[in-house]
Formats: sequence, structure tokens, C-alpha cells
Amino acid sequence: MKLQLEKFGKTLISRELGSEAFKAFQTTLREISADEELEIDFSGVLTLSPSWADEFLSPLLNKLDDKLILLPSDNLSVHATLRILQEANKRSFKIK
Amino acid sequence: MEEKLLTISQAAEYLGVSLNTLRRWDESRKLVAIKKDGGTHRYYREKDLEIFSSDLMKFASGWMQDGVEFPGTFYCATSSIFNARLTKMEYVLMQKPGFEKLYSLIVLIAGEIGDNSFAHNLGKWPDTAGIFFGYDMEKRIIVLADRGLGILVTLRRALPDLPSHVKAVEVAFTEFISGRAPEKRGNGLKLVREVVTDQLIDLFYTSGDAEVRMQGTDKTFRVTRGQRIVRGCLAKIEF
Repeated sequence: MKLQLEKFGKTLISRELGSEAFKAFQTTLREISADEELEIDFSGVLTLSPSWADEFLSPLLNKLDDKLILLPSDNLSVHATLRILQEANKRSFKIK
Repeated sequence: MEEKLLTISQAAEYLGVSLNTLRRWDESRKLVAIKKDGGTHRYYREKDLEIFSSDLMKFASGWMQDGVEFPGTFYCATSSIFNARLTKMEYVLMQKPGFEKLYSLIVLIAGEIGDNSFAHNLGKWPDTAGIFFGYDMEKRIIVLADRGLGILVTLRRALPDLPSHVKAVEVAFTEFISGRAPEKRGNGLKLVREVVTDQLIDLFYTSGDAEVRMQGTDKTFRVTRGQRIVRGCLAKIEF
């Protein structure tokens, strides 16, 4: 399954909204079968902050482990945010 | 050609303040009105209002320190208002030549600092809730400020032994704090430090008597003790 992250907004900044987005995604998440991969597509996202991403991508990584795949992005804020989350969580995202 | 004058009502709308505030500012000579031919009605030149509203640091620090009123256009009472105004700034910035890629890092910095103010003071604002958020894309400056509890008080909830404002600000910008803390702490300020170090972006940040200056060619991160103790947090981002 592929998730277009921009469906949650183009400017993904606050912790509060990241947490809301994660809650809203729960119903979809339950539909994913155990061996299915979830691809995150960042295209269309203008700014991604570590606070928003920590509420959304960090719990997804904990839940899906190597079934979570991040698609490449040339957005500087996406790069910076993924770098700090990997450092904070002491684990790496699988990037396609 | 004679310059167009704005009435006091138009000026109030322009600055987002009340008529009484403008009358008071005129009497205290903070923003002097023009009176035609010795009349009593107050008028303002648009250019003067533009200059008056451009001194972002003065407004932000005056509000933080002494609760001095400032043009309402810079006030974000809630985080949703802040998010909406940040999106508007993002749009302006990404059109600016040379910022087609860099805009997202500047929005990230402003977004993290502003969001921190709301996240850590929600339901606990000592008096005025919300933040000051002003920017001038021509001068390439963004100023954010709040009258919240400040870094030391909010961080002590997770780390009760923090001895000073300087240590608290240092921890906020450099350390990852355990997830067992009573409230979730972001890694936002750590990333702000990294981005400012790597890019042509300057940062001045203060909370309590702690100050961070990462400017020009000297981007070494250090927290120093300033001359005065400020309420909440204040940040100036230049690029």
C-alpha cells in the first residue's frame, strides 16, 4: 500500500496535528495485512517537521518495522527530519 | 503629488489595534498622528505605518518584557492561527529567488520554535496565551516570542534537577530526552541547531537569562548568560 503523505497537509508542522493524523490513519492501518509493505510518498509535502513526524512516522516504524518503506524525496526538510528521527529513535528507516 | 493619508480607523485596521490604542500611542508620542490645519482628527501616512510595523524585535521584546501592546497582525492566539500564518509565509518564501529549496528548512525552524511555545504552555500560560509571530521577507527576518513559562520551568517537569536557565537551554538544544518524561518532548530544537549550523541562517534565541547566538561565520553552539531575565522565549531568525 502506498500513502501520499500530502493527504494530511502540505505543511506538516505541529506535534498535535501529527498525533491527530496518526489517529486518523488507524482504520487504514488495520486493513494492511501482516506481510504487506506500507510505502510513504512525500511528494507534494512542502515542509515536514520533526515534531509532526515523531507523532506519525516514529510509531509507524515501531509497528511495521521493515515493512515501512520511505520513498525518496528531494525536499530538504524531509531529509533533515528523517535524519534527526533516526538519531533520536536509534534505528533507521528503510528508504527505497 | 500629495501623499494619501489614512484615517485613524483605516490606520487601526492596518495595524490591527484599537482606536484607543492609536490615540494613546499618539499622546505618548510612540506613533505620532498628523493633524490637518490644527484640526483634532488624526491621520497617518501609510509609509509611516509600514515603518512603524517593521520593527519586529522591538515589538516582540516590549511585549515579552513589559506586556507592551503591538500590532494585532503579529499575534497568533492559537496554534491553528500560527499554522495558517506559517503556511502563508511558506508560500511567500518559496517564490523568493534563491529560496526555492531552502524555504522548507526556514519554515521548519520557525514552525518548531512556534509550535514549542504552544505545546509546552497549553493550559499553563501565566497571562496572555499565544505567540508573537512577525516576519519581513524583504529584510529576511522572522521573530517569534511568547509570554509562557520558559524553557527552564517546562523542562524541569522532565528533568527536575536542572540548575539554571543556561543549562536548560543547552539541554533543549543538544540532548535527546527520555520518552518516560511526563510530557512528550520534541527533537525540534536539536534539529534547529543542526540546520542553523549547516546553512546560511542566523539564530538568536533567549529564555530566562540564557542566550544563544549562532551568527555569521561563528556558528559554534554555546549558551551564555545575558544581562537580563526575559519571560518566556524569544527567537530571531535571519537568512
